[in-house]
Amino acid sequence: MSGTAPRDRRRGLLGVALTLPGAAWLAVFFLVPLYVVVSISTGTVDPVFRSVVPAWNPADWRGDQFGYVLSRLTGPDGFFGPVMVRTVVYVLLAVAGCLVVAYPVAWFVARHSGRRRGLVLALIVAPFWISYMMRMLAWVNLLADDGLVNRLLGGAGLVADPVTFLSGRPTTVVLGLVYGYVPYMILPMYAALDRISPALLEAARDLGAGRFETFRRVVLPMSVPGVLAGLVLVALPMTGDYFTNDLLSASPSTAMLGNLINTSVANPSQAGQAGALVLILVLAMAAPMLLYVRSSVRSDLAS
Amino acid sequence: MSADRRPEPNPFARRGPSRRGVLGLAALTGAGLLAGCARERPSSGLTAGGGGSGSPTLTAASPSSPVRWPILEGNAPIAAGLAPEKDATLQLYNYVDYINPDVIKSFEKKYEDTGVKVVVSTFNDTNESLAKIRAGGSPYDVYFPSYDQIGKLATAGLVRPLQHAYIPNITNVWPQFTDPWYDQGWQYTVPYVTYTTGIGWRSDRVNEDIGARANPYDVFWDPQYAGRLAVLDDYREVISMAILRAGGTDINTGDDAVLGKVREDLAAMAKATRPQVTITDYIAIPEGKLDISQAWSGDMIAAQGYLPKGTDASVLRYWFPADGKGMVNNDLMMILSGGKNPVLAHLFLNHLLDDEVARENFTFVGYQPPLNSLDPSRLVADGYAPQGLAAATVLPSYFESGYRSLELTPEAEGKWQDTWTRFKAGA
Repeated sequence: MSGTAPRDRRRGLLGVALTLPGAAWLAVFFLVPLYVVVSISTGTVDPVFRSVVPAWNPADWRGDQFGYVLSRLTGPDGFFGPVMVRTVVYVLLAVAGCLVVAYPVAWFVARHSGRRRGLVLALIVAPFWISYMMRMLAWVNLLADDGLVNRLLGGAGLVADPVTFLSGRPTTVVLGLVYGYVPYMILPMYAALDRISPALLEAARDLGAGRFETFRRVVLPMSVPGVLAGLVLVALPMTGDYFTNDLLSASPSTAMLGNLINTSVANPSQAGQAGALVLILVLAMAAPMLLYVRSSVRSDLAS
Repeated sequence: MSADRRPEPNPFARRGPSRRGVLGLAALTGAGLLAGCARERPSSGLTAGGGGSGSPTLTAASPSSPVRWPILEGNAPIAAGLAPEKDATLQLYNYVDYINPDVIKSFEKKYEDTGVKVVVSTFNDTNESLAKIRAGGSPYDVYFPSYDQIGKLATAGLVRPLQHAYIPNITNVWPQFTDPWYDQGWQYTVPYVTYTTGIGWRSDRVNEDIGARANPYDVFWDPQYAGRLAVLDDYREVISMAILRAGGTDINTGDDAVLGKVREDLAAMAKATRPQVTITDYIAIPEGKLDISQAWSGDMIAAQGYLPKGTDASVLRYWFPADGKGMVNNDLMMILSGGKNPVLAHLFLNHLLDDEVARENFTFVGYQPPLNSLDPSRLVADGYAPQGLAAATVLPSYFESGYRSLELTPEAEGKWQDTWTRFKAGA
C-alpha cells in the first residue's frame, strides 16, 4: 500500500510534464492570438492613421464593432446576410459532395485494398505534399478557357464554345471545396470503417441479413463517429475558406464569409469588423465542435 | 527581313513567370493579420495643420489647396556634401516588380567604392506598408508610396526631409513635380512614375473598339462580356470609375446620394457581368485569361512582356478618355527617417531621376517616368509601346484635366469602405 503512493505521485508528475508542451503550444499559438483578435475587435480606430488601436485592457473593450456587424447581418442594411446564406449553402453542398465521394473510397480502402492498403492510403495523402494554393492554381490552368478540360470537352464534341468555369460560377467554387477537403473526410471515415470487426459482418450474414441489411443495420451505425468526425473536420475549415473562391472565381457574386473577413482585414480601419466577424464565426463553429468532441469521447469510452 | 521578327528587340521582351503574381498570392495568406497585430506607435497627441484641441486631425492636400508639410523638430534634412556610408545595405521598400533589377545593379556599380548593397523588400498595398513602417524594426531607406500618404508620414515624422543638394537630377522631371500641390517645395518627395486608369483588352479576343462607345465604362455592365472581365481590386479605382460613368466628376466625394447610386450601379454590374476583382490584369490580359479589364496604363505597357510566344504586341489595346478627363496619378520616392543610410538614399533618388536610368526602369515596370526628355508624343514611334497602346501614354496636360484621388475625410473614407465591402460581399 505505502509503496504505491509515491509511484502514483510520480506518474502524476509525469502526466503534467507530458501535458506541458501541448499546453504551452495552445497558450502561445491559440490563446494569445485569440486575445489579440478580441482586443482588435473591441478596440478603437486611430484618427490619423485610421488603423485599429487594440484595447488590451478588458476594461476598455467596446462593443461597437459587434453592433456594426450584427446590424449588417439583418435589417435594411444587411448586406452581410446574403453572404452568410451563401456560405452555409456552399458548405452544405460541398460537405454533401465530400460525403458522397469519401464514403465509398473509405470503404474500399478499409475492406478491399488488401495488400495495397498502404499504397492506396499514401496516394490519398499524397495531395498534402503539395500546398493547397498550388493545387488550386493547377485547377485554374485546367479549367481555363483554353485549358485541358475545355480542350477535352471540345474535342469530344460535348460543347461548342469553351465553358467559362472560372467566371464566378458557384458550381466551380463548390467543386473546388469538395476537391480541396475530401482527404480530411476520407481518413477519419477509413479509421472508423477499419475498426469494424469482419466477424460482426459475418455474424450479420449468418443471422440472415442481406448485403443491404448488413450495411444499414451494422456498418452504417458503427461508422457514425467517423462520419461525424469527417463532417466536422471538413465543414469547419470550409466555412472560413477564402482562398478557393479567390482563385477559382475572384468574383463578388460567389463571395463567402472568409472573403468578407479578408476584405475587412485588408482595410486597416475595418480590422475591428474582421475581428468581430471572426469571433462570431468561432462561436458559431464551437457548437458543432463540442458536439464532435462529446461524441468522440463517448465512442472512446464505449470501445 | 522576316515579318515575324521585329527589327529591334522589344524592350518588353517576355519575362517568364511573373514574380508579382505568385508573390501576391502567397502574401494573401496572412499579411493583413500580421499588419493588424503589429505594435504600432501611438499617434495620439499628433497634430498637424488645423489640429484643434488635442484631437489629432490631418490636413488633406489638393490641387486647389496645396500643402507645405511641417518639418518636425529633430527631423532636419542631412547636411550637404557628406560622404556616402561605407559597406552599407540600402533597403528599398516597394511594390513587387515595380523597379528594374538592372537599375539597382547600375547603382551598386556606380558606387562600388563604397561597397553598397541594395536589397528590396516588397508590400502588397500601402495600408500594409504603412503599418509596417509605423511598427518600426525594419530600417527601410527608400519608400515608394502614393501621394495620399505624405500627410500621415510627415505628421508622424516617419519621413526624412530631402537635402536638395544631393538631387541635381530633379531638373529632369516635369516642372509640376518640383513644386507639387501635395508637397510644396518638394520637401519630402520626388516623383517616381505616372499612370492613368482606363480599360485594357486584346483586340483579337474582343470584337469591338471599346473606346468608340459613347460611354466606354458601360462595357463593365454589358452582359455579353459576363464572366470575361475584371475590375481592379482597389476601392478608390472602382468606386471612382462608377462615379465617372454616371457623369460625376468629384471622385473624392462623401455625398450619400452619389455613393448610394454607386452602390446600386456596382450591384447591377456584379449581377450583369460577374466581374473578377483582381490586379493580375497585366498578366491575365496578355495571356488571354481575361478579355477586358479596368487597368492602369503602366500595367498594359508592361503586359507586352507577358504575351505568349507568337502573339504580337499589336493586339493589346488601352483606352483612356482622349480629352484627359479620367483618373490620373503619380507615385513617389521618399526617404524614411528610420533608414540608416540617408546619404546613399539621396544618391539613389538622384540615380533614378537620371535620364538613362529612368528610361531603363520604364522598359521594365511599364510605368512612365515624368521625364522632360521623354517626349510623350513619341513613345509609340520610339518603340516603348505599340500603336494600340498609344492611349497609355501619360501627357503632362492630364494632370490639369484629369481627376485625382485625394485623401478622403474620415467620414467619406468610412462610406467608401462600406460601399466597397458591400460590393465585395456580392450583396
